[in-house]
Amino acid sequence: MASVKRSVRGRAAAVVRPFISLFALLAALELLKRGGLLPVFVPAPSQVFNEIITSPRLVTSNLGPTAFKAAVGYFIAMGIAVAAGSIAVLVRALYSPIYNFSVIINSIPIIATAPLLALWLGTGPQVQIVIATLACQFPMLVGTVQGLQAADSRQRELMHVLSASHVQTLRYLLIPRAIPYLFAGFKIAAPSAVLGAVTAEWAGAERGLGAMMLYALFSYDTPKVWLSVLLTCLLAASAYGLVVLIEKLVFVPGRKVELAD
Amino acid sequence: MTAARVSRDIQVNDVTMVFHGQGESVIALEKVGMHVEAGQFASIIGPSGCGKSTLLRLIADIVQPHSGNVTLGTDTPRAARRAHALGFVFQSPTLLPWRTVRQNVELPLDVVGRNSARRSAKSAAELIELVGLKGFEDALPHQLSGGMQQRAAIARALMLTPDVLLLDEPFGALDEITRQRMNLEMLRIWAESGTTALLVTHSIGEAIFMSDKVFVMSARPGRIVSVVDVPLPRPRTLDMMRTPAFYECVNRVRDGLFGKEEGSSAASEPEPAEAY
Repeated sequence: MASVKRSVRGRAAAVVRPFISLFALLAALELLKRGGLLPVFVPAPSQVFNEIITSPRLVTSNLGPTAFKAAVGYFIAMGIAVAAGSIAVLVRALYSPIYNFSVIINSIPIIATAPLLALWLGTGPQVQIVIATLACQFPMLVGTVQGLQAADSRQRELMHVLSASHVQTLRYLLIPRAIPYLFAGFKIAAPSAVLGAVTAEWAGAERGLGAMMLYALFSYDTPKVWLSVLLTCLLAASAYGLVVLIEKLVFVPGRKVELAD
Repeated sequence: MTAARVSRDIQVNDVTMVFHGQGESVIALEKVGMHVEAGQFASIIGPSGCGKSTLLRLIADIVQPHSGNVTLGTDTPRAARRAHALGFVFQSPTLLPWRTVRQNVELPLDVVGRNSARRSAKSAAELIELVGLKGFEDALPHQLSGGMQQRAAIARALMLTPDVLLLDEPFGALDEITRQRMNLEMLRIWAESGTTALLVTHSIGEAIFMSDKVFVMSARPGRIVSVVDVPLPRPRTLDMMRTPAFYECVNRVRDGLFGKEEGSSAASEPEPAEAY
């Protein structure tokens, strides 16, 4: 009982501790700003939070579209990356072409391609969705490719001696073995989708955190700029947190042990 | 019932196997021939790199010989494997870490189908009890010790009542005490299943204690240098390891392994601790 209580308390402390340091940091910033020690482009935290209170519609009308576009792009990328990664592993000849293509897409600077794509596709949400897709596909493809190759030769020989079909080998060995790697990719990709969508919004969008950021920048409204940065961070972090949560739900303890070796 | 199943003999004819490395080729097996009667327990013993594991993997259709052939009963290894007639226990337990002990033992059923005629008359629960893992059915592999994992792997190999059970140094990683206990359990399980068993080992004592027949191999090139028949009665007991008949077998295996002439080492009696 004592150990259970201690572990609960330990966990609570682990949750609370980052908030304490965050709060201390904000308090320090506030004091420094009030003391006139911070430059004009760093607003007081109270100014930023005041924006939320005075114009809550600003937050809701921009957060929603970005979250939606990032999520759609993320799921499209997930579908394509998992399919392409599986083909790369199953068809040896396509391994390099698929992998290289994915690497190239990943190395293209989004900030440069966003205006070009906007020219081709128009400035509707489709551009932001496409860019969110491009921005987050790579880790998911790597996760799929690594994961499907993760089964060791002994495990493969076991399935061979059992005379398992390709589908059975995939179902009982390769896919379960791939799951931790897939989730590693999914986790890294989630914030990338948000950042991709926000970056794409810079190239022209009516609504969204990127648009809000841009308008605020052009009107020298520093508290609003910081608010948009803060909301982007929160959205990206929650996207990551959501994937972690889903992984916890499908989690089987033995898998984690395996990933380490 | 398991007893009604006809087990298969293992026939290896003039098998040669060459591995091509960088620039040089290594003859892993050279014209190896052996025969294990149906229902027998046989062992292959030899120094590291003599090709004994390769020979076992050849019988399991994991690798193919360059020349010569293997038959299991009347079938090729491939046909026997496709008929799900082979049980293989690897050096490492090779359990799937996301499956519980019961799910691991039932893996062959997932592949073959729950209603397969191959299915053991024993349930997974009974097999788990047979290997002494009762109470650990829902444990995950990483929660078990190495010896317990290997026992789960043995239960898995028995799930389909194999006609031929191939054991690739299954107890090699275990401590001496666990190893002896596992040997006794393995013999009990084997006697009950009626399967033909072939064990690869580098322990002289283990080979003799377990087997009706011991194939002694030499390395580079891998070939069988002698075959020692073990006259000890069954069921085997640990006391038999102190009998003159046991020592006689130990000496004959040693002669094969170390190339001594007949009878020259018979005078120096090996100590039991060293032999096992």
